[in-house]
Amino acid sequence: MTLKVGDEIPELVKHPTTRQLVQYAGAQGDFYEIHYDQDYARSVGLPGVILHGLLKASFLGQLVTDWLGDRGTLQAFEVSYRGVDQPGRPYRCRGKVTKVDGDQVELAVWGEDPDGNRTTLGSAAVVITG
Amino acid sequence: MGVAAPPVTATVEAGHLKRFAEAIGDPNPRWLSEAPPTFLVAIAPTSIHLEEAEEYGKGWLNGGNRFEYLEPVKVGDRITATGKVADAYEKTGSSGSLLFIIFETEYVNQHGRPVARLRGTAIRR
Repeated sequence: MTLKVGDEIPELVKHPTTRQLVQYAGAQGDFYEIHYDQDYARSVGLPGVILHGLLKASFLGQLVTDWLGDRGTLQAFEVSYRGVDQPGRPYRCRGKVTKVDGDQVELAVWGEDPDGNRTTLGSAAVVITG
Repeated sequence: MGVAAPPVTATVEAGHLKRFAEAIGDPNPRWLSEAPPTFLVAIAPTSIHLEEAEEYGKGWLNGGNRFEYLEPVKVGDRITATGKVADAYEKTGSSGSLLFIIFETEYVNQHGRPVARLRGTAIRR
């Protein structure tokens, strides 16, 4: 696999629903009401229920592991949440290569809302083995 | 600082992995036997309940997460998670004051080897 800085990796578009937030709340064990109770979410100043940050991180994790496959190993993965996202709006996950040093590769990854706002920014470090 | 939570030990169950992969919508068959990148948050709490912090502001937000992976986590592994509060500080921005709490969790497998570390930033607003 020949990689160079600036290469974009295949994007992944997710379509989160309120049902998925409830599913994720159960699977992770995070029952904070802002992720499924509209009235509660509005009472704390949010526009409505919002995606779990870690669900968006999971989407970006899938972006990276789908691209990497069995060609390497994920060593580090970091995400910073810069904005809230609501179910019912597609979430576009993208990434590009930012560093290649022998078999060590770093990626910038991000998630965009339909208005093009990058509401999650992150990075991943992988080692290419195959 | 240095507030620590009692360690939590849990076995990575096939059914839990399957439910987690379905919940994040990732159909990769690899996740039937191996933990996807964010799974470890599901086997132990990633934050410590801090009553003092809940008196601050009206809600929590997740500021960010950083995972470091040392070894794959597979079905049947018995993982012990040990978490602590690494730092806490206040910042004043355009929308008012925010309280930042940094949590760190280390995950160790049944062989006593660390498999992952997680650093999370919780924000009270």
